[in-house]
Amino acid sequence: MIQRILFNSGLFKIDVLSSLVLLGVIFFTVLILLYSIGFMRGKPGRGQYYTYIILTSLASLAVCLTNNLVFLLVAWGFLGITLYLLIALAGPQAREAAKKTLIIVGGADALMVLAAAIIYCLTGTLEMDKIRISLSASSLLPVLAYLCLALACFAKAGAMPLHTWIPDCAENAPLPVTAFLPASLDKLLGIYLLARVSLDMFVMSRTMNMFLMLAGAFTIVAAVMMALIQHNMKRLLGYHAVSQVGYMVLGIGTGIPVGVAGGIFHMLNNAVYKSCLFLTAGSVEQRAKTSQLDALGGLSRLMPLTYISSLIASLSISGVPPFNGFISKWMVYQGLIGNWRLANGKWEMSVYLLCLVAAVFGSALTLASFLKLLHAVFLGQGEVLSKRQVREVSAWMWFPQLVLALLCIVFGIFAYQVPLKYFIGPAVGNNIEFFGLWAPALAAILLFVGMLAGLLIYCSGNIKQLSRRDKPYVGTEDIPAEARPTGTEFYRTVKEELGVLRGIYRKAEAGAFDIYHQAKDLIFGVTNFLRYLHNGVLPTYLVWCLLGMMGIFYLFLK
Amino acid sequence: MNNFIPFFVIIPLGAAFLISLVGKLSRRLADFLATSGGFGLLALSFFTLWILNSRAGVVLVYKVGGWVPPIGICMAVDNLSSLMLSTVNTVSFLVLLYSLSYMEKYTDKWKFYTLFMLMLAGMNGIMVTGDLFNLFVFLEIASISSYALVAFGTEAEELEASFKYAVMGSLASSFVLLGIALLYSYTSTLNMADIGRTLAAHPAGLLLNFVAVLFLAGFGLKAALVPFHAWLPDAHPSAPAPISAMLSGVFIKVLGVYALSRVFFNILGVSQGVLFILLILGTVSMVAGAFLAIGQSDIKRMFAYSSVSQIGYIILAFGIGSPLAIFGGLFHLINHAFFKSLLFLNSGAIEYSAESRDLKKLGGLKEGMPFTAATGIVGSLAISGLPPLGGFFSKLIIILAAVQAGYLWLGLAAALVSILTLAYYLKFIGFAFLGKLPEGLAKIKEVPLAMRLAMLILAVACLASGLLVAPLFKSLLQSASDCLLLGTGYAERVFSAIR
Repeated sequence: MIQRILFNSGLFKIDVLSSLVLLGVIFFTVLILLYSIGFMRGKPGRGQYYTYIILTSLASLAVCLTNNLVFLLVAWGFLGITLYLLIALAGPQAREAAKKTLIIVGGADALMVLAAAIIYCLTGTLEMDKIRISLSASSLLPVLAYLCLALACFAKAGAMPLHTWIPDCAENAPLPVTAFLPASLDKLLGIYLLARVSLDMFVMSRTMNMFLMLAGAFTIVAAVMMALIQHNMKRLLGYHAVSQVGYMVLGIGTGIPVGVAGGIFHMLNNAVYKSCLFLTAGSVEQRAKTSQLDALGGLSRLMPLTYISSLIASLSISGVPPFNGFISKWMVYQGLIGNWRLANGKWEMSVYLLCLVAAVFGSALTLASFLKLLHAVFLGQGEVLSKRQVREVSAWMWFPQLVLALLCIVFGIFAYQVPLKYFIGPAVGNNIEFFGLWAPALAAILLFVGMLAGLLIYCSGNIKQLSRRDKPYVGTEDIPAEARPTGTEFYRTVKEELGVLRGIYRKAEAGAFDIYHQAKDLIFGVTNFLRYLHNGVLPTYLVWCLLGMMGIFYLFLK
Repeated sequence: MNNFIPFFVIIPLGAAFLISLVGKLSRRLADFLATSGGFGLLALSFFTLWILNSRAGVVLVYKVGGWVPPIGICMAVDNLSSLMLSTVNTVSFLVLLYSLSYMEKYTDKWKFYTLFMLMLAGMNGIMVTGDLFNLFVFLEIASISSYALVAFGTEAEELEASFKYAVMGSLASSFVLLGIALLYSYTSTLNMADIGRTLAAHPAGLLLNFVAVLFLAGFGLKAALVPFHAWLPDAHPSAPAPISAMLSGVFIKVLGVYALSRVFFNILGVSQGVLFILLILGTVSMVAGAFLAIGQSDIKRMFAYSSVSQIGYIILAFGIGSPLAIFGGLFHLINHAFFKSLLFLNSGAIEYSAESRDLKKLGGLKEGMPFTAATGIVGSLAISGLPPLGGFFSKLIIILAAVQAGYLWLGLAAALVSILTLAYYLKFIGFAFLGKLPEGLAKIKEVPLAMRLAMLILAVACLASGLLVAPLFKSLLQSASDCLLLGTGYAERVFSAIR
């Protein structure tokens, strides 16, 4: 009975892809709720917080399950509202971030309404599994509909150019919210919908695929460059949340099974390690009461469990084998190479090559910026902080972190055996062709054996004193605390000493590349003109009425 | 059976009369008379809705004094007018409830009630009348009492606004009157159905075009369509908050949209030319109103421009003219009645407690006024068209209808304006309710119960109005939009009801 109502009416439908996202949603909801028990203890507005989290989760489930475009719009838009309310809970300073977030996310929803309207007019149905629109036709309508939907996915997942809410949101929202929504759930849903739209509802044209790939590649590099120069841990992670979306969009844009599977797998992996990273950032902030990189340091001894989770997740996001981030990136690269082989014409070939270079380069820069993060937060000198009784967070909080870190390892080493076999493979139709050789289990064993051997050799030499700590010195002089280089110092060269980059960074920080600010300036320009016209003088207004009447009369007589 | 129709006018007129007699003697009695009058109208309008909804395609006609139309004057209520009557009287009852507490700070509360009831009599009269000249008379009753209500605070700013409003409103009235006079000279009748029938039999050619221009300008002024909108951003903010809620929530819809669509769709008949002009007026209003709203820092001024923009959506939908579009337009009209009156009541609550309506001086009101904040957020998100609130569905239908009718760019414009709407309402929420509470407002208190109750009911209406497209309630809107789609067949329906 229930099954008939839910599934036979065409309102709901479940397949492998949606069940994968469904599982992800439930998993992250449980973990975030666990973490929140520790994080939100004693904070005001808990009742509202938990209500909104549960509502978010329910709406996300509805997004995964629905097969009706209007119902999808409703659930999708509702997520924007809950996100807004959750960010607003953080307190007075979150006002601007909340507003920006909902304008971008909700604004993209308005475009999605237009897309739904166009699709309905083209196909006469709102049931997603019956929609199959070809983009190769030269008509405008399908392209506009696809672009509107893709923009909505971009806004939700945070791909450029609609990414700018994510760093602001990461900086201001309560941390579990960032870990829950922009880092995991919004990625899952945004990429889920992008995959659904690009793979099922539309027949992609080559140009559209190129558009997706270029958008993805650009997102990877631009966002990671911004991440490099951040001084706030949460904002840095926020830019990485943007950068990683690029890989997923790139993967789906390749359009061949291994690339698409890589994109979807990366979506899953990203949700795992990125929420892990945000959770550890939350733990650090809760104990150290700051998220400024310059003020942190040396926490590895004080918060070992958080450190380990953060380390694993950092390596994973940087694509270091054998963790999970590597393997999905590897699959995306394979998708690109596969396309490169099929390419006709030098122009196409160079696009694929460009994307490949951007992806690999982005991965290297990611590693660089995470070295900065790890060094500034956990390593380095932390004498200032240790006095303040920084200790490990409660079990409610470290348990979810460790679970996620463990998942990074499992998904990496047993990639073929677990996630690819059960989730990703069936979702793209089980016809993934891998080329190149990568046996993660074997590689992991070799790596661990190698490390173990190294450790043995090290220990055999220093058996009496396993670790040694010296005060930092130059020559024979101790360096005074204020003269020591901080973790962020090394990266200042990127921002200040490379001529071309310096100008771009300066503009980026002034908001020149933020579509939100640009649109705002444009709108206020028009507004000011219109306000200038409204001078408050009655005769002017009467003249307008007269002119209006004349205009109408002219239209009638024409 | 149809004898209850005149009571839509009799009740408010009687209440106005009684209140002006006894209001000076007892404040409580005036409160009681006004509220019970409002409640009586509410009950009556829902009774009418219920009667009409059980029998589709029926017009209830009341012959005034027993004289048979077209010689006598008649009152005619069909599905469209009954739906509008229910909306208007619901909002006005809630506004009266709100005024119980809000208007305490003004002297001569009874004068407010008297004027309010006169305005209501005018609005109800417009919706029930079947006679074009009566329509003009009721239009004037409603307008003149609203001029007085705008000036109710008697501060310089309010008097100036009222003066501008009065001048432009009289201009509108004279256009309408001239149009009616020309029609009368041509058809020798004032009965709406009879005019429709005569015009169908003897097409009027160029004269009809001139009349159409006069009506478009006249009702366009009342509906505040750009470029006839300039009085509204002064008049609506200057009035006391309950009146702003009435003016923006229902007044411009009755005097503007309802009268316009009744006259054009059912009497003169819509040509492609009229539809095209409506399309242009609607689009321009929708876009310009949104741009102007985003620059305001006075809450009520922002809402007033927002009304211009939202009326633009409705007129745009009527201009598309397809059944789906008219359905969506009417749906948006009802939604807008709910959320705009809620928002104006909200701004009143803010002004009541914080004694300012300048967004730059407010902030953090969520702390002291959680109830006002919650209802304000509901109203704002509803008007911005976020799901699952009512406004989303009506905008969806309008955009769908625009694309379906081949107006892709208008659909795109409607979607983009929807983003702008979201932006300025988030500006309102952000600056009023979120952020830091200013020093001076540290001890701010929530508003009294009557005001909260009115806002609560309207907020629930905003949340639930999406259900109007659900199969159970869809017939209400469907039958109302069928009345407009019937076109000049209206005459036939009225005359068959008389026989």
